[in-house]
Amino acid sequence: MTISRRTWITGAAALPLLSRPGFAQKAAGIVRYGLSAFPPNLQPWVSTGAAAGTVKLLLHRSLVAYDAKGELRGELATSWSIDGEGAWVFKLRQGAVFHNGDPVTADDVKWSIEQIASEKSTAYMRAQFQSFAKVEIPDPQTVRIVTKEPLAVLPTWFANYNVFILSRKSTPTEPIGCGPFRMAAQERGTSIELAAFDRFYKKDAPKVKGVKFIVYADDNLRQAALMSGDVDIIEYVPWQSMAAVESNPRLRLDAVEGPFMCVLFNASKPPFNDPRVRRAVGHAVKRDDIVKAAFFGRGKGLEGVPIVEGTPWYDAKLAHGWNYDPARAKALLAEAGFANGIQATMLATAQYGMHKDTAEVVQQHLAAVGIQCELKLPDWPTRVTMGGRGQYDLAIHGLSGDSNDPDGLTAYLDTSQPANYSRSFNLSAPRTKELMDRGRAEFDQARRVAIYKEMQAAAIEEAPMVGLAWRHQGYGMDRGIRGFANLPGALTTLSGGTLEETSFG
Amino acid sequence: MIRWLLRRVAVSAAMAWIVATIVFLALHLVPGDPAELLLSTGGVAADPSAVAELREKLGLERPILEQYAAFLKGVARGDLGNSLVDDYPVAAEIALRLPRTLELIFAGSLIAVLLGIPAGAYAALHRGGLFDRIVSWTAALLLAAPVFVVGTLLVLLLAQTLRLMPAGGYAQITQNPVQHFTLLALPAIAIAKGLTAIVFRMTRASTLDALSRDFVRTARAKGLSPNRVLVHHVLRNALTPVLTVLGLQMGTLLGGTVLVEYVFNWPGLSTPLLRAVEARDYPMVVGIVLTISALFLLINLIMDILYAVLDPRARAS
Repeated sequence: MTISRRTWITGAAALPLLSRPGFAQKAAGIVRYGLSAFPPNLQPWVSTGAAAGTVKLLLHRSLVAYDAKGELRGELATSWSIDGEGAWVFKLRQGAVFHNGDPVTADDVKWSIEQIASEKSTAYMRAQFQSFAKVEIPDPQTVRIVTKEPLAVLPTWFANYNVFILSRKSTPTEPIGCGPFRMAAQERGTSIELAAFDRFYKKDAPKVKGVKFIVYADDNLRQAALMSGDVDIIEYVPWQSMAAVESNPRLRLDAVEGPFMCVLFNASKPPFNDPRVRRAVGHAVKRDDIVKAAFFGRGKGLEGVPIVEGTPWYDAKLAHGWNYDPARAKALLAEAGFANGIQATMLATAQYGMHKDTAEVVQQHLAAVGIQCELKLPDWPTRVTMGGRGQYDLAIHGLSGDSNDPDGLTAYLDTSQPANYSRSFNLSAPRTKELMDRGRAEFDQARRVAIYKEMQAAAIEEAPMVGLAWRHQGYGMDRGIRGFANLPGALTTLSGGTLEETSFG
Repeated sequence: MIRWLLRRVAVSAAMAWIVATIVFLALHLVPGDPAELLLSTGGVAADPSAVAELREKLGLERPILEQYAAFLKGVARGDLGNSLVDDYPVAAEIALRLPRTLELIFAGSLIAVLLGIPAGAYAALHRGGLFDRIVSWTAALLLAAPVFVVGTLLVLLLAQTLRLMPAGGYAQITQNPVQHFTLLALPAIAIAKGLTAIVFRMTRASTLDALSRDFVRTARAKGLSPNRVLVHHVLRNALTPVLTVLGLQMGTLLGGTVLVEYVFNWPGLSTPLLRAVEARDYPMVVGIVLTISALFLLINLIMDILYAVLDPRARAS
């Protein structure tokens, strides 16, 4: 058979018709979302990462959640307050039902809290919830939580994507939630399909018939899938592609400064058991170089404790407590008795480019003040184990607070807690810890602000960790998508919850 | 013959056991705790008591020899265990994904054979000609270009710029056959890229070799038509080494499609293997590696048997 030029052109013209998926999906009201990883599992209370969190936020509901501006709003609770005895009282919404049709009751709330706090629990909030003395049900629409110590931040704990209210009839393998969507289908490792729950307690949500999550583990492919119209929204737009998404007339980029990079220390031995040496590290690194090298300019230097700019706790002066000043760094090293320099090992991971790139920049700047670092770049699982055992002098890590409240940084700043890979090893920062504890127990907002500013000043001195850079976390989406919002600061990983309000414009 | 066959099967089974044991032990020796990794996905460290609780639940606190014995007992019963991450049966995951990897390898090999053999034979017959020189250079280039570069370029050109094809993914053949083969095209081409070059070179070399043999001269001398000489005398002899190499390459691809599957989001067996190693999901890694090595051994066994059937000398050795 000979192929004439005409046949060839006809065939080529038909190709797009053959292969374009998606338009039918949009007509059917299904939002297609490019996920960066397949959730290891969807156990509601267990922390298995942001991808799982995004899906869980749609299947389940808690007492409260964050709105698009990052403010707490009622979900299963309509109001919450402190009573005369310092206990938190939540008033429950009428008419909310689980996916099996049962009403959501105070008994379910109490049961869920007790499961999270139980001795056999593997829940993310287990330790926090174990600080509750008791959970009471004064009437069927009210839950009263009595805490062992005064606890100002309790409501924010209920907005975490590892805290949900489940039906008491749930089993470990079959959790029964009350979220805006229910599981329709899933293929392990590939995709998850959710269908709108028609008896969700908000009459105007969800606005679409379903959400299809498709996993694109490769950054470039995920971005290509958005560019080619295979999906409507993607998470974690790679930094090098943000400009391409912004300049595409069909697409929109929504990026916030949320997560951050930092240096952790092993303070169980010299030289980093000396706060002056740790502060020297803080003054030695030129942050802009990290933002340029690791994040293609998509970020901002972080020269203080990671407090999000624009929140009441932010202080312009304290935010630069570890400003770039190599002369000061050298002076601090000399004062600590290390004028002749230091040899150290720096742990990061080669598995994630941003960790490796950041480590290489930090290594250069530390060398300039006399701290010679040998880089160790194992795979991520080995990095986790070595970090937890303190097998390093310095470690580079990427983190995100639990919330934009300074209390959301407790896991990283309170180094008196048991050792793990995401906080400094065996480091003593007693003033920072004491002020964190006071802030958590203080109910007056003005006094809390004062306490946390004092805490930042203390942390600059004690250096339980040293901030390096904020990095942008971006969602890319079709311009026709309405209602999806990137939540501010540390809340960015909770943005998936706004899929409930998402629609096609 | 029967005794020889039994011995070969026994040797293969023993090899599979050795591979499984090495993988099992090596995996447990490298650092990384599956429970801690699972509970700290995304860089947030978990509560140590929750990790301890999960280790207990997953049976990771038992002595390693006890875990090994339980694993062997399971394999003997045909049970590869369940994933540590989500309790999903390992055998079910393999049953779902292995056919897709095999399909990808088969499609890639088909392209390689259809392009490589005729091109190789033609280049050999017109040795030193323009076609030979161009294609030989192209083959060298294809072999040298890494698959992730070629793959990414294909996605950039066909999906992102021209928007002719989806960027990657998978559709079930029963639900959407057109979409299925559209999505198969790019990864299959990426797999075929290196394979075609190998098949081309092998065909060209062995055809040149066959062309210089005495029996070809004899065939020509007795007046057979050039086509008959080419098909019956040259190619028949030239293709045996090509098929051997192809068989070996297909075996290697069983575990070597990782990059292609990753770049094109093809949900075959490589992606779960990679994810399982990252998560230190012991049963999943061991199950998949055991399956791949068993298949590899099976291919070898079949080849041995075929050789033995064809050539009695192989049986004696």
